[in-house]
Amino acid sequence: MKNIDEISARVREGDRIDRDEALDLYLHAPTALLGELADRVRARKHPARIVSYIIDRNVNYTNVCVARCNFCAFYRPVGSMEGYVLGFEEIFRKIDETIELGGGQLLLQGGHNPDLPLEWYEDLFRAVKARYPDFRLHALSPPEVIHITRMSRLTVPQVIERLVAAGLDSIPGGGAEILVDRVRKLLNCHNKATADEWLDVMRHAHRAGLRTTATMMYGHVESVDERLEHMFRLRDLQDEMGGFTAFITWSYQPEHTELGGFEATGLEYLHTLAIARIVLDNFDNLQASWVTQGGKVGQLSLAFGANDMGSVMIEENVVRAAGASYCMDEAEIVRNIESAGFTPKRRNMHYEILGDPVFRERDVPRMLELAVARAEGDDSRPPEIVRYAARSAQEKKLRS
Amino acid sequence: MTPQQLIDTPDLIAAGVAGDEVRRRMHGAKTTFNRVFEVPVDAPPAALPARVNAGEFRIVGKPSTLDALTAAVRATAALAGEVPVTVFSVFDLLSLPQSIRVVAAAIKEAGASALVHLPIDRVENAELVAQDVRAADLIILSIGVDDLDDNNRLALCEMAGTLQSRAGGFKAFAPLPRKMSVTKPTTGYDDVRMVALARVVAQNIESIQVDWALYGPKLAQVALTVGANDLDNVAAEDPGVLGTRRSPLEEVKRNITAASLEPAERDGLFNPR
Ligand code: SF4
Repeated sequence: MKNIDEISARVREGDRIDRDEALDLYLHAPTALLGELADRVRARKHPARIVSYIIDRNVNYTNVCVARCNFCAFYRPVGSMEGYVLGFEEIFRKIDETIELGGGQLLLQGGHNPDLPLEWYEDLFRAVKARYPDFRLHALSPPEVIHITRMSRLTVPQVIERLVAAGLDSIPGGGAEILVDRVRKLLNCHNKATADEWLDVMRHAHRAGLRTTATMMYGHVESVDERLEHMFRLRDLQDEMGGFTAFITWSYQPEHTELGGFEATGLEYLHTLAIARIVLDNFDNLQASWVTQGGKVGQLSLAFGANDMGSVMIEENVVRAAGASYCMDEAEIVRNIESAGFTPKRRNMHYEILGDPVFRERDVPRMLELAVARAEGDDSRPPEIVRYAARSAQEKKLRS
Repeated sequence: MTPQQLIDTPDLIAAGVAGDEVRRRMHGAKTTFNRVFEVPVDAPPAALPARVNAGEFRIVGKPSTLDALTAAVRATAALAGEVPVTVFSVFDLLSLPQSIRVVAAAIKEAGASALVHLPIDRVENAELVAQDVRAADLIILSIGVDDLDDNNRLALCEMAGTLQSRAGGFKAFAPLPRKMSVTKPTTGYDDVRMVALARVVAQNIESIQVDWALYGPKLAQVALTVGANDLDNVAAEDPGVLGTRRSPLEEVKRNITAASLEPAERDGLFNPR
C-alpha cells in the first residue's frame, strides 16, 4: 500500500493516479480528505464556480422488457397487464409540457420491447423533429441500441446511422451498471450487453460524432475493485475517443426488485463520487444524483467533486419504481446551488451554457412532485402501434 | 476556525473537519443511538404491537388537558415496564393552563422520567422553565430548535451553551430544525454547517444529536462525520417484512459502522443498553 499522503500529493499536483492508488484512496482515505481532493480537481476544471443543470424530461417510452435485469423494479414482462407503450401523441404532449417549463430535451429510454422495431424509433424521432425542430433527443442507452441491432439484424454503426438520420442527437450512458462481466452475469444483465458491447456502442457513437454520457450503478453485488475497473475502462475509452460529456453514478435502489438487499449509505455515495472525480481526470463533468440521494446529499455532492446538478427532470419512473422519489424543480435546484456558494447556469446536453434560470425570467409553475409516464389505470394502446409488425406471441394474439 | 468563520467559509469540508475534531476529542468513534416507540398523547395504544424493542416510550403531540396528558403517561407506563417514559415537547406543555412546575410534577407522579425537547428558539425564559421542571424532580433531555433561519444559527448555538451553563442537566443539543418548509427545506450545506457549528460552540453539552426519523439515514450519517455523536428516534418497531438485514436496528448500525464509527445503543435516559 502506498502512503495516502503521497497519493494525495500527486492528486493535488494534477498527476494521474493508477488503479492501485485509487484503491488505496477509496479504502483508506478519510471522508474529508476525499472531499478536499475531489474539490481541488473540480476547481481546476471549473474555476468560475459555475454549477450547471439541464431542464429536460426523462420519458420512458415503454416498460415492456425482455432483458429482465434482477435489479430492475421498472420493467414488465411481455404480455403483462401493466405493460405500456407511449403513443406519439402522448410523447408530443410531454414535449409541450417540457417546453413550457423551459426545457429543450427529452431523455428517452425504455425497456427492450420486442414489438417496437427500428422503424418505430425512426418514425418517432422524425415526427418529433418535424414538430419541434430545435428540440433535442438524448435517447436510447447502449443496451437499447444493441436490442435494436438484434431485432433488425443490422450492425451497431448501421443502427446508429439510421437513428441519427431520423433525429437522434446524443446517447445517454444508461445500462452500464458495472462494466465487469462477472457482475453483469450476477445481475442478469450480461445478456442485454456485455461490458465490451456497452463500450463498443459508445465507441461507435463517438465515431459517428455523437456525444454521450457514462453512468455507474454501484452497491449491489460488485466489489470496490470492480467499481474501479468500471471507472478505469471508462477512462481508457475517454482517452481513446473523448466523446463522453459527463459521468453520473448512483447507488442501486433495492425496493421491489428481485435482487433485494439494501441501499449503500450516503457517505459511500460521496466517497464514490469523489473517487470518480479523481480517477476520471479526462471527464469534464460529474453530475450529482439527487434523484437517488435526496436533495441534501445531492447538494453535498458539490463539495465532493460534482459540478452539475443533473436534470430538473419533470418526470421519472425507473428509480421511483425502486423506492426513490425525490423531486426538485428548477427553483429548488437553483436554491441548492446558490446556498452551496456556486453560480447556477442552465446548460444543454453538450454542457454548453444556455443562460440563467428560466424561473427568474418568466413565471414557471412550481413543481413539487415528479410526473409519471402514465396516469394510473390508463391502459390505452397507442393507435400507431398496429403499423409495426408484432414479434411477440402475446402481441400477435392481442391484435388478432 | 472561529464560529463566524465556520458560518462564512465556502469550504464546507473545512467546516465539517472543525466539528469533527471536537466530536472526536469528546467521544472518539463512539456513536450512541436510541430506539423510540412513539405514543400519540390523544391515543395511547391498549397493547403493544409485535416486534417492538424500545429504549424509550415517548409521548408526542399537544395535550388538550393535563388530565389527558397524565392519563396518556399512565397508560404508556403500564406498557413500558422498566423502559423510561418521556414526554415531547416542553413547548407543547407550556400551552396548558397549569404552571410548568405543576405539569412536571403531575407527569412525574404518573410515571414519566423526563421531558425530551426544549426548543430554544420558542421557549421564553428557558432557564426558569428548566429550573421549574428540575424542582419537580424531572429532567429535560435535550435542547432543540424548531425554526431556523440563516441569521440565527450562531445565536441559537450560543443560547444553548448558555442555558446549559446556567441551568445544567441537558444531555444533548439537537441543532437541526424540526420544522421543515415544503418549498424551502434546509439544504445539506445548511445542515452540515449547523451541526459543526453546534459542536464547536456548545462544547459544554455532551452530545450533538440528529433525529434519525426526521432527517433520514443519508443526512444523519453525514452529520456523524461533522460533529454529531447521537442518533435519536430510531424506530423501535420492526415491521419484519423486509427481513432482519433491513430492520431499523441493522440499518442504523450499518450506517454508523460505514462511517467508520462504533455504534452503542442507549436508552431514553442516555444509559447504555
Ligand atoms: S434495467 Fe432496462 S433492460 Fe434491464 S429489465 Fe429494466 S428496463 Fe429492462
